[in-house]
Amino acid sequence: MAWTDSQSWLSSLMSPTPIAIAVAALLVLSIPLFLHLVIYRSASSSTLPSFLLVGPSGSGKTSLLTLFERGGHAETRTSQAPLTVEVSLPVTTTTASSQYRSANDPSNQIHKKFLLADTPGHGKLRHHAFDSVIKPQNLKGIIFMVDAADISTSSSGTGNEALWQAAEYLHDLLLLLQKRANTKSPRGPTELPVLVAANKLDLFTALPAPLVKAALESEITNVRSLRTKGLLDSGIGMNDLDIGDEKEWLGDGGEGKFDFTQMDEVNVSVTVAGGNVLGADGPDVKQWWDWIGSNI
Amino acid sequence: MLDGFEILTTSGVVLWSKSYAPVSSSIINGFIKDIFIEEKVLPGASVADDTSAAHNPTYKKDQYTLKWATVKDLGLLFVAVYQSLLHLTWIDKLLDNIRIIFVDLYKDQLKKPHTSIIECDFDGYFDQQVRELEGAAEKNPQRAPQIAFDDLTPPSSSDNGDGILPPPLPGLAAATQTGQLRKPGSNGDWTDVSPIPTPDTSRPSTPASHILAGKAGPKSRRAKKALNAPANASSGDEKKGRPKKDIGKKMRRWDADGMADDDDGTVLDYSAQSLDENGIANVESGASVEAIDSQSFGTRTGKGQFVLKDLEGEVHSILEGANEKKSQSTSSKGGVVGSSLGAISGLFRNVIGGKVLTKEDLAKPMRGMEEHLLNKNVAREAAVRLCEGVERELIGVKTGSFESVETTIRTAMESSLRKILTPTTSLDILRSITSVTSPSQLNPLSPKPRPYVISIVGVNGVGKSTNLSKLAFFLLQNNFNLLIAACDTFRSGAVEQLRVHARNLKELSEREGLGKVELYEKGYGKDAANIAKDAVTYATQGKFDVVLIDTAGRRHNDTRLMSNLEKFGNFAQPDKILMVGEALVGSDSVAQARSFNASFGPKRGLDGFIISKCDTVGDMVGSLVSMVHATGIPVVFLGVGQHYGDLRTLNVG
Repeated sequence: MAWTDSQSWLSSLMSPTPIAIAVAALLVLSIPLFLHLVIYRSASSSTLPSFLLVGPSGSGKTSLLTLFERGGHAETRTSQAPLTVEVSLPVTTTTASSQYRSANDPSNQIHKKFLLADTPGHGKLRHHAFDSVIKPQNLKGIIFMVDAADISTSSSGTGNEALWQAAEYLHDLLLLLQKRANTKSPRGPTELPVLVAANKLDLFTALPAPLVKAALESEITNVRSLRTKGLLDSGIGMNDLDIGDEKEWLGDGGEGKFDFTQMDEVNVSVTVAGGNVLGADGPDVKQWWDWIGSNI
Repeated sequence: MLDGFEILTTSGVVLWSKSYAPVSSSIINGFIKDIFIEEKVLPGASVADDTSAAHNPTYKKDQYTLKWATVKDLGLLFVAVYQSLLHLTWIDKLLDNIRIIFVDLYKDQLKKPHTSIIECDFDGYFDQQVRELEGAAEKNPQRAPQIAFDDLTPPSSSDNGDGILPPPLPGLAAATQTGQLRKPGSNGDWTDVSPIPTPDTSRPSTPASHILAGKAGPKSRRAKKALNAPANASSGDEKKGRPKKDIGKKMRRWDADGMADDDDGTVLDYSAQSLDENGIANVESGASVEAIDSQSFGTRTGKGQFVLKDLEGEVHSILEGANEKKSQSTSSKGGVVGSSLGAISGLFRNVIGGKVLTKEDLAKPMRGMEEHLLNKNVAREAAVRLCEGVERELIGVKTGSFESVETTIRTAMESSLRKILTPTTSLDILRSITSVTSPSQLNPLSPKPRPYVISIVGVNGVGKSTNLSKLAFFLLQNNFNLLIAACDTFRSGAVEQLRVHARNLKELSEREGLGKVELYEKGYGKDAANIAKDAVTYATQGKFDVVLIDTAGRRHNDTRLMSNLEKFGNFAQPDKILMVGEALVGSDSVAQARSFNASFGPKRGLDGFIISKCDTVGDMVGSLVSMVHATGIPVVFLGVGQHYGDLRTLNVG
C-alpha cells in the first residue's frame, strides 16, 4: 500500500478529520499544563526555607523537632543520622514577611511551611552539621540547642565539661559561618541568623537565658584563647602552604572578650532565647517559634 | 520476661515502643553510642544479607541485656531489652519477625521524605508475636536447654506453626463464638473509636483489617492480662534451662519476684505436674481461666479473641511472604535467562545507579579497596576489619543516581575513616592542664592545685624523648613551668640525652622569656616507678605546673618489661599517658597499640597517641589508622619534623 493511497494510515493521519484535529488540540493544550504542573511541583518542594538544628548530644534537638512536627511529645534517643522534616508554622506566629498585613487578612490563616533539619550531636558525627552549613539549600537560620540545666552544674575539678563542649561546638560553628561570609560568594544568602536555644528551662537547676548567654560568651573566649595558643593542625589534604597560613580567629582579631555582637560584622546575628521542650511549667517554645517566624 | 522493646530510626525518633518495666533511656542511648557511633563493640566478621538478630552481638549494660536488629535502607533499629539474669531463647526470633512485619506494614510510610511520623498501632502484632514465641518456647522445654547452650538458635518456624494454632479449648471456642455473634455491632463501634487513618494500602487485604486498627488502644488492658500467663511460662522455661532443681525452690523464687499471686502459683504447679501436656496446656489454661474470669465483659474478651485469630493469620501471611521472597531470590539465581537478564540490568544499574548492593557486587571493589589500604601502610588486620565494616554498612543499600559501586564504597570508607579518627572528647591539652593546675576559685569543692602529669611510653627508638621535648617546648611557649623526669634508667645515654634537651629548652625559654624548665634525674639502674613518684612529689612542692615523664623504650612482646608499666602507672598516677608510635611501623602497629593499652592494668589505658616521623612516610599514614582502629584511642599529636616546633594536631577533615 503506497502512501498515495487514501486508505493508508499515513494519509488518513494527515487528512483533516475531526478526530485528528481534536487529538492535536488536546495535545497542544494539555502539554503546557502538564509541564507546568510537573515543574511547579518539583520546584516548590526544593525552595522551602530551611532551618538547621545543631547542638551537643542530649540537648533536645530531636525532641524539639518532633514537638514542632507533631505538636506533641515523642520519645527520642541518641541520633546517628540527620533527619529533615517539613514543619508548618502555627497560625498564631506571624512571619516577618506578613507583619504589615492586616490582622484579618485571610492569608494569615495559611500555615507557612519550612524544613527543619536535625543533626546528630555526638562528637564523631558533627560533620553532618558542618556539611549542611557549607552547602546550604535556602538555609534561613541555625538553631543551636543547649541544655541550660546541664551547663549550670559545675562539676568539681575538671571544670564544666558540658559547658565546654557546648562552647567549643558553638565556637566551631561560628568560625565556620565567619569563614563562609569572608569567602564572598556571589550567590547565597549573606545573612544567617543563629538562635541559641536554651532548652530545659523547666528544670530547677537551669540557668535563665541571659546567664546562658554570658556563660557561653565567656567560655567561647576561653576556647578562642586556647586555640590561639594551640598547635597548628596537620592533615593529609593540607599541603605546606596551608600550614603556613594564618589561622582564622573568631570575632575581631581574636583578642579580648568575645561576645555575640562581634558576629554581626559577618552578618550573623546571634539571639539567645530560653524555652523547654518537655515539662509543663516554664517558658515553652513560643519564643523559638517567634524567632523562626521572624526569619522565615 | 522482656523489659522493653523499641523500634527507632537512626535519626533518633522512637517510632514504637513497649515497656513492661521502666527502663532508663540512658540504657538505649548508651547502647547506640557504644555500638553504632563509637563502635566499641565490633560486630562479628559474618556479614549476613539481612542482618539477623542472631548475628549481632549482644550488648550488656548494668543489669540489662540488649539484642538488636537493623534495617539499613530504611534506617530502622529494633532493640529488645531484658534482664541479664533471664535467658530468653526466643528474642532473636522475635526481633526478626517483628522486623519483617513492621517493615511490611509500614514500608510506604517509612519511605516518605520530610517526615518523622509513622502512624502505627503495632501493639497487637507485637503481643501476638510475643505470645506465639513464648508459647513455642514453652512447648518444647526439653529443647530449651539445648538451645540456650547452642548460643541462641531460634526454634524453627515449623515448630511455631504448630505452637500457635492449638486446638481450641471449649471455653475458648465459646468465647470465639460469642465474638462472632457480636461482630457486626461491635465492628462499627471499634471503627468509630479509632480516629487514626490506617495504612490500609500497605497491608494485605484481610476482611477484618479495619478491626485490627481499632483494636490496639483499648485492648491493652486485656493484652496485659493475657500476657500474665506467658510471663509465667517464660520463667518456667528459664528455670528448665538450668540443671534440675526441686520445684519448691522455684516457687519461692517466684514469690520473691513480687509478681506471683495464688493464681499464678496454681498455674505453675499445674504445668509442672503435667509435663506431657506442657506448653499448650499451660498457656491455654491461663487463657481459659481468664475468659471465665472476665465474663462480665464477655463481649470484649470474645472480640479480642476473634481479632487475635485474624491477626495471627495476617502475621503469618506476612512472614510466609517474606520467606517465599527469600527462597525465590535464591532459586532464581539458577535460571540461565534470569541470570543473564539480571547481569545486563545489573551492568546498566551500575552505571546509572539505583542498584541494590549485594555481597557479590561488593566483593571485587572491596578487594581493591583493601589493597589500596594495605598500600597505604594500614595493617592487614585493620584493613580487613575496616573493609568488613564498610561492607556490612553497604549491603542492602541502594546506590545513588549516576553513582557506581566504587564511588559508593569510596564515600562510605571515607566517612567511616573520618568517624574512626574523630575524637570523642575534646583533646585540648592546654585546657586540661589549666583546669588541674589552677582550678576555679569559685567552687569550694574543687581540689587543690597540683601538677599535671604526662607520661610518655613506647617501643624502642620511636622518638619518645624527642617528642617529649617537642611537647615541652610547646608547653613552655604557653608559660607553664615544667619538670622533666628522666625515668629511662635502663639505656645508657638516655639521661644525658634528656639533659641536653633540657639545657637547650632552658636556653630557648630564657631568651624568649617563657616558662621555666628543670630536669629531675636519679641516674641509672633505679626503679623507674619510684623515680616517677618522687618527681611528682618534688613538682608539687616546687610549684611546677606540668611533669613530663620519659620512660624506657620496651618491646610490646616483652612481658617482663611491660609488667613494670602497671606499677609505674599506679605510682606516678599520670593524668595523661601518651604512646609514641612510628608512622613507619606498618602492620606491627596494631599489636603495639593493643599491648600498651592493656599494660596499665584493667582500670587504666592509654589516653592518646603521638604519631612520630610523619614527615618520612609521605601519604603512607596507614599506621595512624591501624592504631586508632585497634584501640579507639585518639591521636593527640603528630611529629612532622626534626625541630622543636614540629608538633601538630591532627586535622581529620
